[in-house]
Amino acid sequence: MPSPLLADTPGETLLLLGNEAIVRGALEGGVGFVSCYPGTPSSEVPDTFFRLSREGDYIFEYSTNEKVALEVGAGAALAGVPTLVTMKHVGVNVAADPLLTLSYITAPGGLVLLSADDPGCHSSQNEQDNRHYARLAGLPCFEPATAQECKDMARDALHLAHRTGQPVLLRTTTRVNHVRGPVKLGNLPAEKARKPFVRNLQQYVPIPAHSRVQHRQLLDRMASIRQEAERSRWNKVSGQGELGVIASGICRCYLSDALFEEGLTGQVKVLDLGFSYPMPDALLLEFVKDLKAVLVLEELDPLVEEHLRALLQRKGVALEVLGKSETLPVWGEYSTDMVRQAIRQAQGRQARGPEHCAPEQGLAMRPPNLCAGCSHRASYFTVREVYGDEALYSSDIGCYTLGLLPPLSAADFLLCMGASISTASGFATASGKTTVAFIGDSTFFHSGITGLINAVYNNHNILVVILDNRTTAMTGHQPHPGVDHTAIGPNERPIEIEPLVRACGVEHVKSLSPLNHKATKKALEEMKALSGPRVLILRDPCVIHERRVNGKPKPQVATVAETTEGCLDVLGSLACPAFLKEGDAVRVDEEMCSGCMYCLQLDKSFKAKKRGA
Amino acid sequence: MQRTRIFFTGVGGQGTLTATKLVSLTALDEGLAVTSGEIHGMAQRGGVVESTVLIGYLSPKITHGEADVLLGFELLETLRALCYLKPGGRLVGNSESLPPLSVATGKAAYPSLESVEAKAKAVASTVLFLPCRTLAQQAGAAQSANTVLLGAACAIKALPFGMEALERSVRKYLKPALAEANLKALELGAKAALR
Repeated sequence: MPSPLLADTPGETLLLLGNEAIVRGALEGGVGFVSCYPGTPSSEVPDTFFRLSREGDYIFEYSTNEKVALEVGAGAALAGVPTLVTMKHVGVNVAADPLLTLSYITAPGGLVLLSADDPGCHSSQNEQDNRHYARLAGLPCFEPATAQECKDMARDALHLAHRTGQPVLLRTTTRVNHVRGPVKLGNLPAEKARKPFVRNLQQYVPIPAHSRVQHRQLLDRMASIRQEAERSRWNKVSGQGELGVIASGICRCYLSDALFEEGLTGQVKVLDLGFSYPMPDALLLEFVKDLKAVLVLEELDPLVEEHLRALLQRKGVALEVLGKSETLPVWGEYSTDMVRQAIRQAQGRQARGPEHCAPEQGLAMRPPNLCAGCSHRASYFTVREVYGDEALYSSDIGCYTLGLLPPLSAADFLLCMGASISTASGFATASGKTTVAFIGDSTFFHSGITGLINAVYNNHNILVVILDNRTTAMTGHQPHPGVDHTAIGPNERPIEIEPLVRACGVEHVKSLSPLNHKATKKALEEMKALSGPRVLILRDPCVIHERRVNGKPKPQVATVAETTEGCLDVLGSLACPAFLKEGDAVRVDEEMCSGCMYCLQLDKSFKAKKRGA
Repeated sequence: MQRTRIFFTGVGGQGTLTATKLVSLTALDEGLAVTSGEIHGMAQRGGVVESTVLIGYLSPKITHGEADVLLGFELLETLRALCYLKPGGRLVGNSESLPPLSVATGKAAYPSLESVEAKAKAVASTVLFLPCRTLAQQAGAAQSANTVLLGAACAIKALPFGMEALERSVRKYLKPALAEANLKALELGAKAALR
């Protein structure tokens, strides 16, 4: 049976994740090419496309990084195919170089860039507001708030991009990507829209003489798209009153619920800004007529607010504008309660006091942790054994970042995807201190390899440990160029990391399994005695991925014969989540134990037994 | 329409998100205006999972003091999430624990069931704790602890639909091989709740 996401059943209602709804919307918009680099909260969009790719009529790829994904997507859109490129907010920084020129040369087939922002840093290293990229690059911007809007706006964004050639930004936030709600399906297009490529050097080859003209053309296109925003159904006015509220993105949901709870539904004039850039200036000016004050609701940076203030000043309109400049924060997420307070304040009413009980203080925290049997734990354990606190540890983006906490304490600094090698290089060169860089396999292919080439070229004195767990584990086990299998079949030409590292000019390279404690320790001691750029590849598959692929647990589990000093030491220094301290005794939870048998190599008090015996 | 906010809290791997999806799908099938939200990502590595189901609201988020119902799939996390419950709201929780690493390594303490109950009773109108994992094992599948909790919540009318609707969903949306054990789990949860 085909997936309901691919079925041409207009009018049917499905309960969809926001990210799944984006997939359906893109299909309704006639998407023919999808490229991505995964990253929470965007990952379910490409994963869903990938899952459906054998049945669906589109081309899909996981690219090595976001810049490559956008460049590949740009090529497809230049060839005339409606294209979706997906990534998380920080991924757009990687893709920014091609993005800012693509908006000059245009993408005739239509290109939509999904940027999933993360206010509140639920799973990210920063909470940047990617609506800035709409202003910086010149991208029309849609901001859905519900699952239904995720579907409809993805479709409309592709249509706009195809019609105008201008790349379009679909900007979501974590709450929108991970909302689940009813979505009424529309029609799937009977025919795929295509625009054959017509050679045009002035348009597609941005040498300076052409770029100067293209910049003016971009501004003209954006002026004409502004007219569309003025009358878009996504920018709508409702209610009436002396107070006006302008809301974008998920704030539109908080506003609707807040007005209901305050008993103000219909009594406040509301402008829903769903097509939020270019700003519909005429609509804004019409909206604020006869208002006593206007409140602007937007998460992160005050882009709408500052635009409105400038517009009002330019037009000589004296009107009180409330927003970030008063009490609303430029960090984190908004909430219904926060919006209720802002409305009460705008109306000169008293703030609501807290009615709930205070959050419980001092509870044991539950930080995310490397899984039981994760080979990264073994790698970190042995590196610490050999280098201890003498070395500084440069970390990167992935599951393995979770090794930062004690007792592994394997991260002293972290910048962004692919930066561990180059940051370690700079640190080691400037400080003269022993520096170890950790990087995952997917991250190495993403953008770590350029740092390694640089380290060889400049003879930086660093040890690079490539933690190769044969997948992109953090974001849900997506394949990458080095793995043996993609989800749909064998990878015919997996790229081996070791010869690649040698080809970069690294002389001292060694590969082994980190679950072999003795051999890993010996290799690390040898590497420690050397200088210049050295690479140790510690390779063992992610336990969760293996379990899902092979479907069978390993036959043995660890058990504690007797709680000795050595056993307590291992409990404290390895801190495998399968260990449990009950009173004075250490126990291994058989359901949690993956059967990696690493603890047996560290102390004799651990023994193997048959699972279930 | 009766508006309701339900807050789910648990630990990655417990089936909290499956339970959330089951409640949402049931609500949709019952013709209710449902919105649901989830926060995971880093949480899938044994961290906290928080999710929501809202009936009649647009926002998928619940802030402190807004939840009509709190469903706690793990005892410590239930205490941590208690501040989300509206005064007079209802709490249905698992009395059994999954100790976090700091507790497992003997570095931090774990709250007693009695202390959590006492704190919950100071806020909630109804407080119901059941040994979900134990009941799930009795039902024939330790993984159905989440369904035990849903059965209990449904039995005390804390969910926006009746038991028949929930049973229909278990048959319709769970893998056929798991349906029987989960139907039994619903029943054991409901019985324990009404005892």
